[in-house]
Amino acid sequence: MKYFIIGDEDAVLGFGLVGIQGLKAENPAEAQVAFNTALEDKGVGIIIIEHKIADMIRSQVDKYIFTKQFPLIVEVPGRAGKDPGRLGLRAMVNEAIGIKL
Amino acid sequence: MRNVAPTKTNMLTLKNELKFAKLGHELLDQKKNILVMELLNLIDQAVDHEEEVEKALSEAYRALEHAVLDVGKLKLFQIASAINIGSNVKISQRKIMGVGLPVVDTSFEDYPPYYSLMGTSFWLDSSLKEFKIVVKAMGKLAELKISIMRLAGEVKKAIRKVNALEKIAIPNLQETVKHIENKLEENERDIIILLKMTKLRLEKKKLDNQQP
Repeated sequence: MKYFIIGDEDAVLGFGLVGIQGLKAENPAEAQVAFNTALEDKGVGIIIIEHKIADMIRSQVDKYIFTKQFPLIVEVPGRAGKDPGRLGLRAMVNEAIGIKL
Repeated sequence: MRNVAPTKTNMLTLKNELKFAKLGHELLDQKKNILVMELLNLIDQAVDHEEEVEKALSEAYRALEHAVLDVGKLKLFQIASAINIGSNVKISQRKIMGVGLPVVDTSFEDYPPYYSLMGTSFWLDSSLKEFKIVVKAMGKLAELKISIMRLAGEVKKAIRKVNALEKIAIPNLQETVKHIENKLEENERDIIILLKMTKLRLEKKKLDNQQP
C-alpha cells in the first residue's frame, strides 16, 4: 500500500520528495479527477487531501470516510496553515453523531 | 400497547419477549458505554496527534520554501522525480465490539543518495527529513481519524437501539403484559363469582327439595 497526495503544487512537490505520488488540484473538476485517479489505483492505501480541496468534493469524501474500508482518507491543512474557522475534531464528531461527548 | 388476545399463552410469550428485550437492552447499553469510552480515548489521542502533524507540516513547508528559493522549483521537481524512496503502508485491522478499525504502520525504503550533492542545498535535505516525519505522523493520524469516524457511527447506532428498546419496546411490552394480567384476573374473579352463585342455587334447590 502507498500514500497518495491531493493538494496544491507545493504539497505535491513536498510529498514528492519522499516518494509519494500525487496530483495537484485547484478547482472542483481537477479535484474530482485526482480523487478518482487515487481511488482507481488499488495500491493506494491512504489518500492525503488538503482541507480546501476536500471541501470542493465534500460529499464524496465523506462517503468514503464513513462507509468504505479502503482507502483511508486523511485531511490536512494546506500550506497556509490551519484555517481558524474550521471545526476541531471534537466538534466535528459531535456534529457528525449529534451527541455531546 | 400491542393488540393481542388476552390469553395465558400470549402472556407467557410476551413475558419471555420482555425478558429478552431487557437482556438486549443491558448488553447494548454496555456496548455503548465501551464504545464511547474508546471513542473519548481516541479523540484525546487524535487531538494531540493532529497538533503534532500540523506543527511538523508547517515546519516541512518552511524548509521546502527555503529549498525552492535556493534551488528553484523546476530543478526541485526534477530532483523529486528522481528521488528513490518507497513509502510503504501496512494496513491491518483491529476490532472493538465488532467494529473494524484500521491500524496503520508506515515504513520507508530508502536508497540513498538521492541526488547530487552539487547544486543542491541544505534545505533540501532538511525538507526531505521533515516530510518524512510528516508522512509517518500522517499515517497514525489517518488511523485515528478513520477509527473515530467509524466508532462515532457505531456509537450513534448503538444509542439509537438502546433508546428504541428503552423508550418504546420495553414499556410497550410491559404495558401489554400488565393488560393481559388484568384481563386474566378479571376473568378469574368472574368465574369465582359464577361458581359461588351456582353453588348457592344448588343449595337452595336442595333445601327446597327437602321440605315439601
